[in-house]
Amino acid sequence: MTMFDPTTENPIAHAIIAADGTLVFADPALVALNQRAGGMRGAPLAVPQLATIARLARRLGIVVSRGVVVADDEADVDLWVRAQPDGENVRLTVSGWREIAAWRPTRPSPDVQGVLDSDSDWRWETDAALRLTFVTLDAGPKHGFDPFALLGQPLTAMFALDSGSDGGLPILDSLARRRPMTAQPARLRSSGRAVMLTANVRYDVSGDFAGFVGAARVVVEDTPAPAEPSVLSATFTTGLDKALRVPLARIVANADSINAQSDGPVQGDYADYAADIATAGRHLLSLVDDLVDLQAVERPDFTIAPEPIDLADVARRAAGLLTVRAANLGVSIARPATDVRVPAIGDFRRVLQILVNLVGNALRYSPRGSDVSVTVTRDATHAVLTVADQGKGVAPEDQVRIFEKFERVDTSEAGGNGLGLYIARRLARAMQGDLTVESASGEGARFVLTLPTDPARH
Amino acid sequence: MSVGQDPVQDAMPSPDAPVARAESARLRAETRLAGTIADFFLDADARLDDRTRLMLARVLGGIVEAIEADIRRHAARLLAGQGLAKVGEAVLRPKGAGVVARLTRAGLLRDEDLMEELIARVRHDLIAASLPVDVADPDEASLVVRLAGVPDRVVASAASALLAAESRRRVSNEQGLASGSELPAELHHRLVWWVAATIRDEQRVTTREGDRAITDAAERSLAAHDEGERADAVAMRLAGAMDARPNELAAVLVESIGDRRLSLFVAVLAHALGIAFDQARAITLEPDGDRLWLALRAIDMDRPTIARIGLALSEADPRRDIEAFADALDEIASIDSTEAQAAVAPLALNRDFRLALRALARTDRR
Repeated sequence: MTMFDPTTENPIAHAIIAADGTLVFADPALVALNQRAGGMRGAPLAVPQLATIARLARRLGIVVSRGVVVADDEADVDLWVRAQPDGENVRLTVSGWREIAAWRPTRPSPDVQGVLDSDSDWRWETDAALRLTFVTLDAGPKHGFDPFALLGQPLTAMFALDSGSDGGLPILDSLARRRPMTAQPARLRSSGRAVMLTANVRYDVSGDFAGFVGAARVVVEDTPAPAEPSVLSATFTTGLDKALRVPLARIVANADSINAQSDGPVQGDYADYAADIATAGRHLLSLVDDLVDLQAVERPDFTIAPEPIDLADVARRAAGLLTVRAANLGVSIARPATDVRVPAIGDFRRVLQILVNLVGNALRYSPRGSDVSVTVTRDATHAVLTVADQGKGVAPEDQVRIFEKFERVDTSEAGGNGLGLYIARRLARAMQGDLTVESASGEGARFVLTLPTDPARH
Repeated sequence: MSVGQDPVQDAMPSPDAPVARAESARLRAETRLAGTIADFFLDADARLDDRTRLMLARVLGGIVEAIEADIRRHAARLLAGQGLAKVGEAVLRPKGAGVVARLTRAGLLRDEDLMEELIARVRHDLIAASLPVDVADPDEASLVVRLAGVPDRVVASAASALLAAESRRRVSNEQGLASGSELPAELHHRLVWWVAATIRDEQRVTTREGDRAITDAAERSLAAHDEGERADAVAMRLAGAMDARPNELAAVLVESIGDRRLSLFVAVLAHALGIAFDQARAITLEPDGDRLWLALRAIDMDRPTIARIGLALSEADPRRDIEAFADALDEIASIDSTEAQAAVAPLALNRDFRLALRALARTDRR
């Protein structure tokens, strides 16, 4: 949302809609949204969701507030809309303005809903005044409190809150900033046992704080965790291929056909969920591929059968494989000319895999209209291939990190699972070569793959 | 209902008779076809949505299993006490596809009263959980919590009881474990004897002592059932204790719905109209809402109050059509309250009288 001052966390825009549905007045943000939807001042409001809410409020004669998702250019924007009838007109107040990100895997963190269900010993809920409105009943006998006596009491009748690691109370931060409470240490008043509280914020119809939906987890005394084996056990991925790939492929195929509505009409929301399911499924499929590779490259006896290859040829093939994706992203790939030959020693399939990963990464971080270049040269002992993009680059402090397992060039970016570069470097090194990065933040990244040259051709 | 197994399966004769096997396969295919045809011609409005269907199956299963476990355990204990450990063990151990499947197959669970109550309860709970929260005053505790702290002991204890009853209901909905049946007494009564009969039915050898123990256990389960503990009854108790005056009604109704206490909303409405909870619940859950708007006009609710209630219910229940409601609102608000009272008067008839009238109408339909 470029038209907003990014420093304002929650821009609020106002508008006035006349009785006939025309836009009488609007703040710039709403004017812009309306124009992109094809409307103009003095004409009826062109954003259908907003028009519906305004019309409903006028007809019902009461305030109507609702969260809506509005398509804006390429992105979807999550808005909170409040429509208040005012004589013949309706006053609209629109806040939120959150762009909805593409589906991405989330790291397990306590602020996700799932953790409330799975990892907790019991759940609790409060109203806006922090009084308990719900407590899991069977937790009472187990943890020594009377849930019935606690209902209606303040949250602090159940828990004595302790300060967090930084000396502050996480609950205050959560209340003030309206965001999930991640780790609030506390003690159960009835027994003095240490517990950790997490909670999501519940909002009311006006988008205000309406209470917490929380979970409590009994803190277990630290026991030394068994040392994690640094190498995946040899059996870990045995059969992974069959066990996961087939069902996943079926999930993806079915989700795609639900999304395409090939078996008949499906409600819009469900079609969208299906698209999410397919995307998530594809992500998992690629993760399966990578895990199989990971298991291979991490075995101490991992070797590759090297053979003479033409690095320029592999580079052209990798670029060719990604042409369609590049075209979709509006990025062009400059590849070595067809008469260039750079002999090297390596495993053809593995080198192709490394290059597809490098070029794919470069595309992902390339701005529209820029170039990704793949060049090959050779020095006395090595063939050198460089993949350069014009993206935001990799800051020096991140250049080690991105080659670690499950690390990403940009963790805020959707897609990828953080295994690609790790595997690529392991493969390069197994072929007596290496994979390095040269970049300064903001200058684009240059990934350099070196492979030994064929001694016979010297 | 997808509860239970194929209706013909258990009737399958000895597996080594190929002719009989083929015959039962044919029967099965016919039953399945009949079901599919019935499903195809089912009116879309009559069809349960997936969430309701799932929760209904869970609630029904949970209730039956809770009753079953009670009866089995107590009967087994009685038999063991008489030195009949073997008979006790036989009673304790479930056999076959399970009680829910057996009762489904017998058609007993198609009982209209039972299913009406359970469907209404499931819809009620699902809608209550989807109602948008509307905080009346951010500095004050929410409605029921506030009521639990008022000096009036009768109101306060009823409000505390409602908090507890709703928590209990939510836990059992979420975990599929019913703490008790929470059914009206007659329905509980009916279900207990069905379950007891099923347990006896599955015994290979029936003895007088076994029958006696199952009967005693069932009677114990009946005696333990306290209708007054049900969330509905507790909500009615609170509504009665509050006894909201006409000038307070609008605020209480709107605030109870904004606090997502649908059962309190229903109870206050029922109390104001002088009708039973199940009646008020039925008209609150109807997606077209016509009877609810009439009822609200009968207690003289104004246009904004009806609009707020209609809007909140529409947000929570996808079956409702908010646009049609908005179109009709002026007309609804202009209904004369005396006329509305006359229109909803049949709701206030004695419950048994009402049920008898309905049973009579039902027989005519057949």
